[in-house]
Order: sequence, then C-alpha cells, then structure tokens
Amino acid sequence: MPLTSEPQGFLFLSDILKKKVINAGGQHLGQIVDAVAEFVEPYPIVTGLILKVSAHKNALLPWKSVLSIGEDACVANITAHALAGYKKQGNAVLLKDALMDKQVVDTNGARIRRVNDLQFLQAHHILYLIHVDVGFRGLMRRVGLTKPMDKMMQMLFDYTLADQLISWKFAQPLSSPDLLRLNIAQNRLSQIHPADLADILEDLDIRRRSAVFQALDKETAAETLEETDPKIQVSLIADLNSAQASDIIEEMSLSEATDLLGDLPKEKAKRILKEMEKTVAEDVRELLAHPEKEAGGMMTTSFLRFRPSTTVQQAMEMIRAEGEDVDLIYYGYITDEKEHLLGVVTLRDLLLASPETTLNNIMDSRIISVKLKDNDDTIAENFAKYGVTAIPVVDTKGKLQGAIMFKNLLEVVASHLGK
Amino acid sequence: MFDTLISLRKKFLQSGLWRLGLFFALIGPGIITSNVDNDAGGITTYSLAGAKYGLSLLWTLIPIMIALIVIQEMCARMGVVSGKGLSDLIRERFGAKITFYLMIVLFLANMGNTLSEFAGVAASMEIFGVSKYLSVPLAAFFVWRLVVKGSYKSVEKAFLIACVFYFSYIISGFLIKPSWNIIMTAFVTPTVTFDVGWLTMAIGIVGTTIAPWMQFYLQSSVVDKGIKAKNYKYTRMDVIFGSFMVNVVAFFIIMLCAVTLYTNNLVIETAKDAALALAPLAGSYCTWLFAFGLLNASLFAASILPLSTAYTICEAFGWESSINTKFVEAPQFYGLYTITIFLGAGIILLPNVPLISIMFYSQVINGILLPFVLIFMLLLINDKKIMGDYINGKIMNIISWTTVAVLICLSLAMAFAAIMS
Repeated sequence: MPLTSEPQGFLFLSDILKKKVINAGGQHLGQIVDAVAEFVEPYPIVTGLILKVSAHKNALLPWKSVLSIGEDACVANITAHALAGYKKQGNAVLLKDALMDKQVVDTNGARIRRVNDLQFLQAHHILYLIHVDVGFRGLMRRVGLTKPMDKMMQMLFDYTLADQLISWKFAQPLSSPDLLRLNIAQNRLSQIHPADLADILEDLDIRRRSAVFQALDKETAAETLEETDPKIQVSLIADLNSAQASDIIEEMSLSEATDLLGDLPKEKAKRILKEMEKTVAEDVRELLAHPEKEAGGMMTTSFLRFRPSTTVQQAMEMIRAEGEDVDLIYYGYITDEKEHLLGVVTLRDLLLASPETTLNNIMDSRIISVKLKDNDDTIAENFAKYGVTAIPVVDTKGKLQGAIMFKNLLEVVASHLGK
Repeated sequence: MFDTLISLRKKFLQSGLWRLGLFFALIGPGIITSNVDNDAGGITTYSLAGAKYGLSLLWTLIPIMIALIVIQEMCARMGVVSGKGLSDLIRERFGAKITFYLMIVLFLANMGNTLSEFAGVAASMEIFGVSKYLSVPLAAFFVWRLVVKGSYKSVEKAFLIACVFYFSYIISGFLIKPSWNIIMTAFVTPTVTFDVGWLTMAIGIVGTTIAPWMQFYLQSSVVDKGIKAKNYKYTRMDVIFGSFMVNVVAFFIIMLCAVTLYTNNLVIETAKDAALALAPLAGSYCTWLFAFGLLNASLFAASILPLSTAYTICEAFGWESSINTKFVEAPQFYGLYTITIFLGAGIILLPNVPLISIMFYSQVINGILLPFVLIFMLLLINDKKIMGDYINGKIMNIISWTTVAVLICLSLAMAFAAIMS
C-alpha cells in the first residue's frame, strides 16, 4: 500500500493533529487527536491514530488502514462502524498525551527541554518517530505563526529561524514512571556524566526527581548522588526504603557515604547502616564520630597501607586486588605494626622502581600529615603548600587514622568560593 | 538532672510547641506573596478608597480575605502535590497555543505592575525630597543586581524583615486615636452605594488584592520550598496567615485615610498626596511612616515581579531559567528580566508620561487575565491525574467556583467600565 502523496518525507505531529479523516467513499470518520506508537529500538513506530468520533467517543484507526495524509484530510480505507475503541497494550504510548508539551532530558546536551513538537520520518509506509522539536520555531508552529515569524525574523534581523531538533536517540521522556521504566533497557540516562545528571536532577521538581533517580542503576545512582547537593541527597534517600538506600550508599565512596549518612535523620541513618555490609558500616560509624569540618570528618579510611618490608611487586599486587573498591590508590601509606605512619609512596614511585625493592628504600619519610582535629583552613594550607592530592591524618600519637583526598576538601571549602 | 531533661522534652513534645517550630520552618511563600501583594498599587488604592469613600468600603475586606484564602490555598495545594509551577501545569494540560497567548498577556500585565512599583519608589522618595531621576535608576540598578549577583534569596529575607514596617501603618492607625466603635460598626455592616465611582473603587480593591501574577509566584515558591504533601497543613496555615495580614494592613490604611482625609474633605489623587496630606492632620511622623511603608512595598514588589515574570514564562516554554546560569546559557530568562526592569523603570522617567492612564490600563489587562487564570486553576485542581486524592472536595468546589464566578464578573465589569470611560 504505497502512500499516494508522499512516499517518503518528514512530518510533524502538529501537522497531523486536528486533521479530519475520511474514507475512500468520502465518509467522514473523525478528527485526529493523538497518535499511538510502539516503543521499539531505534525509533518508535506509529501503530495507529486516535480519532475523535463524536463529542465523548474516541476510536483507534490502525496505521495500516491509513492510505495517505494530505494537506486537507487524511484518507483511510475503513468504514465508520469498523473502528474500535482504543485500549492500551504492551509498549504502546500515546504520543501527544505522553510527550507533547512535556519535559524530556536531552542526553546529548545534558539539559532538560520542553517538547514543542515531534517529527516523524515516513518511509515505505512506516512512520518512525525520529526527532523531538525543542526549538522556538516548533513553538511557533504549534501556535500557528510559523510563516509570520519566519518573515519577521528575515525582515528585521536577516535571520533564518531554524528548527531545533533532538534525535530520539538522545531524548529521555520524563512525564511518567512508565516511560522511565520503558527506557531503562536503553540506559539513556546513564550515558550522561554523573555530574551533569546531578545538575539535571537538581533542576527537576521533587516528584520527577525521585522518579528519575529511582530509574537509574545502582552504580550510576551512587555516582550521581555523590555529585548532588547535600539537601537533595537527603530528600532522594528519604524516598527510598533502607534496603534500596543501603545498596546505593555502599557503591559511594566511603567519605561521601559518611557525609550523606551524617546529614540524614538519626533513625533513618541507623536503619540504613543496619542493612549495609558489616565492614563498610563499621568504617562509616567510625568516621561519623568526627565533626564534618575537621580532618577526621573529611577523611576516608578506604586506602592502602603497607609495611616497610613489603616489596614493590607485592604492593602492586595488592593494588590490583583491592584497588577497585578503594577510594585512594595514588598514595600508599607505610606504617609499623602499631600503625605509626613512617612514610609515603606514590603510584609513580611504585611504577618506576624495580619489583624486588622494598618500600622502605623508596618511600618518602618527610611526612606531611594533619591531626584529627585540624580544621579546613589548616588542611587547605597544607594542600596548597605541598601540592599533594591527598594528605594522611594521624592522631596525637602519630598513628595513621585516615587520609583526606583533595576532592573531599574541595567540597567543604567550595561553599566559600565564588559566591 | 537527666530525668528532668527527659520529662521536659516530653512536655515540650506534648505541648505541641514543636509544631510551632515546624510551622516556622515551612512558612514563607504565603507570607511573602501576601506582603508583595500590598504593593504600590495596593497602597494607592486603599488610600484613595479611604480618602474618597470614608469607612464605607471597609467591610469589603472580609469577603476579599475569604476569596484570597480560597484561591491561594488552591495554588499552594497544587504546588505541593504536583511539584510543578502553575505555568508548567497550564502548558502540559492546555497545550502550546493557549499558553503562548496567556504568557503574552501575563507579560504585559506584569510589565504594567512593575511600572507602578517603580512609580511607587519615585513617589515615596519624592516625599523625602529625592528626585525620581535619581531614585528610579538607583532602584532599577539595585533590582537588576539582585539576580546578577545571585543574592536574591538573602535579600528576600531582608524584605521579609522589612515587612515589619507594614506595622508602621498599624501604629499610625493607633496614633491618631480614632473612635473604634464607629470603625468596627462600619467594618461589620455591609453597605453598597450604587454610585459608579464607589463600585469602581470596590472592584479596584479586589483587583489589586487578587492579581494574576501572584498565583504563579506563590505556586512556584511553594514548589521551590519542596514541601511534602504530609506537611501541607503548615503551608495552608502560612497562606491563611498571609491573607489575613494583607487585609489587616489594608484595613489600617483605609481607616487611616478615612478618619483623617475623608473627615476633613481632602481630595487626593495618589498615595503620595495621601502621605503629604497626613502631616498637618496626624503629625509629620505619620507622613514619614507612610512614605517609608510605600517605599519598602514598592521596592519589594519591584524586586520580585520581574524575576517572577521571567521564571513563569521560561518555565512555560522550557527555556533555561536559573539565577545560577550565565547570560549566554539563559538568554531568554535574562532578556525577559532585563526588559521588564528596563521598560518598567524607563517609562517612569519619560517626560509627560501619562502615568495614571498606563496604570489604569495595566489594571484592565490584569482584570482580563484573571478569569482565564482562575478557570485554568479550577480545571487543574479538579484533575485527578495531577492532583490524585488532593482534588477539591464538593464543598470546596462550590465555594471556589462561586468565588471565581464573582471575581470574573467583577473583573469583566472593571475591564468594561475602563473601556467605556
């Protein structure tokens, strides 16, 4: 059944809507009010049109019955009484209802946009949804002012208004939890950098924020949470049950997880800690005991410790075995049996030294460290003066307690910067 | 020792005082909106109402307060439940075309309102002997910097504290020692005079108290606060308290002008006239308090209106709209914001500008816009898809549709009267 007018070409949803539908016999069937599409990869395929048959009755016109969509009317080879009511099934989505005027995430540009129109490609009598129109021209098309606006822009500014289209591949609809779930398989949101994703979450309203967050996989959720504003972190976690929350928090770095748990209401934090893996929970509890703006509150305990007698080869093997789960691997700290800090090796030292060398031969014993109670200013001074990316934290007896990564300091001091 | 502490804590929890604490943590949107509502236009209208018609319009504040509570409560509820702004909801529910034209009208209406705020700044500073060619550009610059510096939130708090200056009207009201018996009788006895001027003034009071932009502003500030549905009752208290406060201030302005200016048959045209005329009757401190109140109100509203306008429109069209973005990232937002301030302040400075008729027509546009906004609101709040279990109950629907019907009639009457005259 080839289309008579345009076998191939682009079509906007706004062009189709409100068009009247007649059959070959000239019988008036109704007016198009929506389109149904099957959400398949790579592009959704239109399976039917919803017609307004009378004031309170809608019916489904299957796409295969559509002969052509012309300027004035859409022609179908079906009789009025053969039209049946529409029932939602499978992955079918009502396009106008779910997408038009709603918000989508542009995963390429990592921004939230509002849908002004949808663009289809018509090929071999199949209608694919390929673009989402988010531009001003799309808005004007909806208002019915495309031509005057084009002319005005041309006349006043010698500027040709162009359509601003996002490929469907980069559009993640947000309007309903169903649509979010539908697209998890395609993992569009996890293509966005967590820091950008965090910005998007912050821009969304509360409801959609937690819906989007819950649609993310564990790892992405954890990474995104690390980048999110503490207040929003708390509200996102508050919407989850303790088991789900602990799964995500376990994926976060130790110091981030600690900060987050410290911000949560005591009861909630307790319940989450109970659900977490014992060893992680213990580390977190230890860190939670320190105030947030002191070295103890900023440090992580997730790093590598070596003995002076360890060889470079052994050290490298340890890094390979545990590095995946450890916050800090660029520095290794060398201690005696009583945990006194003796020196530090960098990953660079380890890579350059021969495998049999023992660490006490290559370590730097001019230790730069801070005390548990040191405040953010002191720590920042140390970072600035010595140009390191992490500083070990010791107690009054010189025993190693943890290490502060530059990133963690930055989070504490960033609030003083810029604003 | 420890036991006493625990029992104290228990008492504290039982006493419900902690609820009060929670209330103060969640308030803000309702009270701020209401205070912005007593802006330059509001103060002018109330002064004129008192000076021209004495105490006879005082009773209208009771139904106005009820209407204000009914409407703002719905807005706040929509904000809390849907988590979306009003223009967002209108766009998603009613489509691009309606939203587009609605936003154009809203822009014009808000433009007019901003203009009258800057006029209020000019008028109040002239009482202090400062030329408008100095005060208006300074005020415009101050307002523009708020967003560029991103210090809007902290300034909002400063304004909220400055709202205490509304008490200046209340203090003035007590200082002139009016006879409370007569005032209270007038307040509780509805009287209607079938005089065109009187009726126009009554509609004017309604129009200035219930303005379209407020609904957009209130809803988005409620959304910004991120209040959960279970804590909604505190927001409702916030809104009711705010609406009450607006009307207390309005009451005192009308009363003050009625007791002083009306009794002495003084004719005034503006709020500035009112302030100046008060000096010989109630003492010069009264003039100063009045002028200061007007300045604070105008500046507060002038800081919020352009921002609210830019937010509302950008939200409807999905344009980037955050104070934290750079100019190039959010050109529409900054463009709208700047134009509103620039024109609002600029027009005041033009020589021979027909200020009174501009303000009058801005009231007319507000009046035409209000019915549409109210009807959209009622349709939205009764939409199960958006509001779930929080849709209006039967009684609430009767009250709200009646309120809206009366307001629509009044707005249309005002627009009609304006066009006829």
